[in-house]
Amino acid sequence: MLIKKDQMVLIVAALLFGVAIYTVFVYAPTELVMGPIQKIFYFHLSSALVAFLSFFTAFVSGILYLIRKDLKWDVIGVASVEIGLVFTTLVLITGVLWGRPVWNTWWTWDPRLTTSLILWFIYASYFILRSSVERQDTRAVFCAVLAIVGFVDVPIVFLSARLWRTIHPVVIRAGSIDMAPEMVTTLLVSLGTFTLLWALLLYQRTRTLTLACRVQNFERQLDGEVL
Amino acid sequence: MSGFWLILQKDLYAEFRRPESVIGMVFFGFLLLVILNLAIPLGSEISPETGAGILWVTITVSSILGLSRTMSRERENRCMDGLLLSPVSVEALFAAKMAVNVVLVLLAECSIIPLFFILYGDGFFTSLPMLVLVVVLANVGFAAIGTLFSAITAGTSRNEALLPLLFYPLVIPLISITVKVTSMIFQGAAVADYSSWLYVMIAYGCIFTGLGFLLLDHVVGE
Repeated sequence: MLIKKDQMVLIVAALLFGVAIYTVFVYAPTELVMGPIQKIFYFHLSSALVAFLSFFTAFVSGILYLIRKDLKWDVIGVASVEIGLVFTTLVLITGVLWGRPVWNTWWTWDPRLTTSLILWFIYASYFILRSSVERQDTRAVFCAVLAIVGFVDVPIVFLSARLWRTIHPVVIRAGSIDMAPEMVTTLLVSLGTFTLLWALLLYQRTRTLTLACRVQNFERQLDGEVL
Repeated sequence: MSGFWLILQKDLYAEFRRPESVIGMVFFGFLLLVILNLAIPLGSEISPETGAGILWVTITVSSILGLSRTMSRERENRCMDGLLLSPVSVEALFAAKMAVNVVLVLLAECSIIPLFFILYGDGFFTSLPMLVLVVVLANVGFAAIGTLFSAITAGTSRNEALLPLLFYPLVIPLISITVKVTSMIFQGAAVADYSSWLYVMIAYGCIFTGLGFLLLDHVVGE
């Protein structure tokens, strides 16, 4: 029996996840001050990367939809925002779990935390908007506009959130990384794994949504609606 | 340009005939000033930061009543179709609607801000020109996003109820900057201390006005 190409990618991703978990828990040294809780950082940063990639994709596909008016870009946009929202939630949850023992508080109004939370709100409202428009093309335009405006808002959100003082650790500065070499390797493995997972999720979600769209159109045709 | 003036005139005229937006905003703002008073312990002085927060929460929450009206008004009797058929460019339409929003919110603020000083103490009243500047800059930002998104929500099944859900996440940064600058004005700080934040507010207004001009065409075309 032949294995299809996307199944191959799925298997590779699963294997890579095994490797990533191994490097996080066995290969990477335990941090001196924080102890094992620091290990959450690898998946925390990787989730943040995936969320950013997703929102950027939604931004670009929003622009492309408005130019081309091709529903393909709408589908990619929805898929990206879905994935981005899930991973922003993961960033927030892992951050809160880490913050409790290390900062002795679940939440603090730090720029990065505030930015992630506001991002979560912006993209959650995307789905509320989506659910309140019936017509496919109208919905696509409205969602594209929100994806564009939301993404443009991100740097301003971050800038304004600087008004609160920061206690978030800055691990990677321009030119230097404050980590042991094994930790850097572990982080890179996690980042790579999550990026592959992102590509896989985006591909699968886009395909599912495209098929759902086609089914809906067929149903409408059967009902005798003129498209 | 004449299209811009015509729409502006029409909307302001309608508002003066039956000032439902402004009266709604002022009444709700007054109510909010009283309700927010519940958050302050009895008999204690409020800090300039708290004062600025109360003022801007009141303004942003009450202004949504006016912002959501400007576009949904055109939806009734399908007036939007008429506007789009008329020889007025979409850019002029956006500029006019945004100007209407700025003016209406400003009118409401002319009552809400004095009420705030009466209820919470005029010790905060330090510099009128700077306060006016901040209010105008904030209004431009609110109006830019409010106009674009009230056009969007007017095209949805939930209409006006949806606007706050889309509007607030996007304007949180502007609100937080505005509160910061206002609290510094209330403290009597030098302009140089907060001028960089004023530039951010100007940039915010410019960016979202620009986006509105670019995107409204797609939104109302639907």
